[in-house]
Amino acid sequence: MEPLPTGRRRETFFRRWSAFRDGLNEFYVGPYRQMFKREQQGEEDLFMIAVLGEALGVPDPAAYYTAELMPALWEDFHAWHRRIGIPRSPLDQIKCC
Amino acid sequence: MLLKLASARKVLFVGGKGGVGKTSVASALALERARNGGRVLLVSTDPAHNLGHIWEMALSNTAARVYTAPSGYVDAVEIDPHSTIERHFSAVSATMMKLLPERLHRSAQAHLELAKTAPGSHESAVLERIAELIDQGLDDYDLVVFDTAPSGHTLHLLSLPEKLTGWTESLLASRSRSDRFAAAARGIVGGEEDPEAAADSELRRTLIARRDRFALMKKTITEGATTGFVVVTVAEKMPVAESLDIVAQLHSLGVDVASLVVNRRSPADAGAFLAERRKREDVCLQELREQLPTVPMTELPLLVRDMAGEDALEELAALITAT
Repeated sequence: MEPLPTGRRRETFFRRWSAFRDGLNEFYVGPYRQMFKREQQGEEDLFMIAVLGEALGVPDPAAYYTAELMPALWEDFHAWHRRIGIPRSPLDQIKCC
Repeated sequence: MLLKLASARKVLFVGGKGGVGKTSVASALALERARNGGRVLLVSTDPAHNLGHIWEMALSNTAARVYTAPSGYVDAVEIDPHSTIERHFSAVSATMMKLLPERLHRSAQAHLELAKTAPGSHESAVLERIAELIDQGLDDYDLVVFDTAPSGHTLHLLSLPEKLTGWTESLLASRSRSDRFAAAARGIVGGEEDPEAAADSELRRTLIARRDRFALMKKTITEGATTGFVVVTVAEKMPVAESLDIVAQLHSLGVDVASLVVNRRSPADAGAFLAERRKREDVCLQELREQLPTVPMTELPLLVRDMAGEDALEELAALITAT
């Protein structure tokens, strides 16, 4: 086999090296990212429950105010009920799927 | 005494047990202040409004002139929570329609209909209207007089701004934590753009606007130089006991109890029956004085005529000035 020209060889080496480095990075750092993501999701679930309280059957004395927050949360609702393990929308009045 | 108070403060709440004459006292106070050259906004927060009956006019959620003096006037409002609810939810609905795709419009509407009828919505709407009227009153009037509902309802309303400030604070804190976690997760993978950022800033803006409004209202209500509470009572055992309760609760809310008004005092010189009543009333008042030695007290006599119409109110107003 012909030896690769020096330039090409160096390029290949760098490509492999950086792939290896990225993999190593992911190996060490990935679990932490997961952890932060999970924490964030937990926080967002809490928020969603606080805002949707009335619709979920928890009397919400602040429904007048939480309604103001609905526009910004509506689109996340589908992702949320899927994530908490309810495959179809649990609310009659929100038919997202 | 009362007139001086009405000139010194910008906002007065008139409250007390049911049936002691809150509406008459509030109206007479407003009238007297107007005769002194003040522009007065008189607001009824009681769901069962009486203000229109006493002024013999049909009143609504928007201000209507009920009394004109040479250099002052009284405008009156009966708060209608339903129209405030409608206005609020149609604004929310407009925002929703703007942000959401067509296919979600129907279900979004249905959800809002449900929130409209939620148990707390009614009083939230009253609170919202009170906040609006205080704002408007501080700008356009010299004095805003609130003729409030019987004590429990009113004390609850006055405690709401503080509770709701806490509520918005905790929701905002939750958003901040969520953001920090998201940023931490992003930081690890290295500066990837967050697609939810736009919706989140919308949430944040709404929450912050809410919190600021509650905080402002709480500040206005608890500022002794601006706002005072006038407790109306009659000199009988139960109303006096309830008035003492009200005063204690107002103190714990940080609201200044500016004055006590003892309404419908029986005359000493109109027969043995009324004279005997007056003696018993004196005993009740004695207790009230002992318990609240620092709150100024005004006594108003029992009047022969019914408290309705401008003439009757002028008579009561003259007595308020005299005492």
